[in-house]
Amino acid sequence: MSPCHDTIVLETRKVGREIKKNGNTIRTVDDVSYTFNKGHIYNLIGPSGAGKSSLLRLLNRLDEPTEGEVRFFDKPLAFYPPTELRRKVSMLFQTPYLFAGTVRDNLHFCCCDLSDVKIGQLLTRVGLDASFADKDAEEISGGERQRVAIARALSLEPEVVLLDEPTASLDPSSSQTIEELILRLTEELCLTTIIVTHNPNQAIRLGGETLFLVKGRLVETGETAKVLKDPDTDLARKYINRELR
Amino acid sequence: MIETGYLQVLAAAALAALAIVLAKVKSIPVGREIGFGTVRSFVQLVAVGYALEFIFNTRSFWLVALSVIVMIVVGAYTAAGRARHFTGGFVIALVSITAGSLVTLGLMLALRIITPEARYIIPLAGMIISNTMNAGAVTFDRISSDLKDNRLAVETSLALGKTWRQASLRFYRNAVKAGMISILNFMKTVGIVALPGAMTGMILAGASPLDAVLIQVIVGYMLISSVTIASIIAGELAIRRFFNAAEQFVG
Repeated sequence: MSPCHDTIVLETRKVGREIKKNGNTIRTVDDVSYTFNKGHIYNLIGPSGAGKSSLLRLLNRLDEPTEGEVRFFDKPLAFYPPTELRRKVSMLFQTPYLFAGTVRDNLHFCCCDLSDVKIGQLLTRVGLDASFADKDAEEISGGERQRVAIARALSLEPEVVLLDEPTASLDPSSSQTIEELILRLTEELCLTTIIVTHNPNQAIRLGGETLFLVKGRLVETGETAKVLKDPDTDLARKYINRELR
Repeated sequence: MIETGYLQVLAAAALAALAIVLAKVKSIPVGREIGFGTVRSFVQLVAVGYALEFIFNTRSFWLVALSVIVMIVVGAYTAAGRARHFTGGFVIALVSITAGSLVTLGLMLALRIITPEARYIIPLAGMIISNTMNAGAVTFDRISSDLKDNRLAVETSLALGKTWRQASLRFYRNAVKAGMISILNFMKTVGIVALPGAMTGMILAGASPLDAVLIQVIVGYMLISSVTIASIIAGELAIRRFFNAAEQFVG
């Protein structure tokens, strides 16, 4: 293991979140404690409504926990100005949103002073040709959009990348490209990558650690191979068997 | 020159009756509304006519102020009805309409365009307040729908380290522009597509067309000023309701 794996980057301590919906109180995240190390991949897996995306949103303070705390480099998230925190803990959504204009305009969105050389490097890093910068962002495929969105996030040189089902709307070939990209970037840049997925096979391919959530609670955690191939709980076993079928 | 009296009003009511008949013939279900609106507008306007006569004759500053306050409160209440997905619409509308009205009327008084008399203040305040009310309502509506429809765009910006203001700037600008679009269109087409009400009224009342035009130009400038002020303030205050101090989208 390289030295980059030793540091704890993110930590949740008894984190919970309640929201009000149609007059009812719903607990989306419940008593989640976990540590996320530098240079690792973490899969958040579980059935719909398990709180995977809700937990992800707490990690870069797009939402606020109602209980517990999230820490980034051993300081509460509130210690950092939100804009600064989110440049270090970047988040990508299931449907990548690209702003009107060219791919170059989108890469300039975060850092206005990016040179053409740097833009070329960012695109190459996500497996796209440097000439891709001049393409209209509206006219590229779903997989390419996701890669441009990743390049845009990388322009901020983040410590952590949060990915909310990044391959959910992609075809198998594009999904595989994105998975390979995630693995490569995590390794090359020593990123901490936390990814929400419905797909146990994807989690197995990505490896790392897996957090299995049900109704906002952590039901099983550990090495992905162990959690997904030999789960301890019936809940996890049933879900994984169903999804793998 | 028209001799205006209740007899002429009664004769004009035949036009409303014609509208009711047409609606009935074509089975368009607005007959009751037209009938109710015809009676209601008559009662409201006659009542306002008597009230204005009374206010003009008493020359009381407080009565003028009270009239303007009532108009502002009713205007704010109406505009606030468009404040979907955020709270505090009434207060925001109240602030924006009041600012648009007072700044514009104050400047008109300071520049001696009008004198501080009820016969100027009340009708001009009425025009300003109705226009700022509409501008505020449109601004509210646009902000609410744009931010809701573009949640992903806003949150993508926030997630990439932008401030709430940066993330929502284009929606704020679009909403303010939408609030102003009616008066902007009016200024583009005034005199070509339609003769505005104030000018038409003056001409019908016997004023020279040139005098009526000059008054109308002043009214146009007054409205663009008040609507701009009100739209900017309404947009500025409304959009803040969608974000909190932690730069989170809470709309």
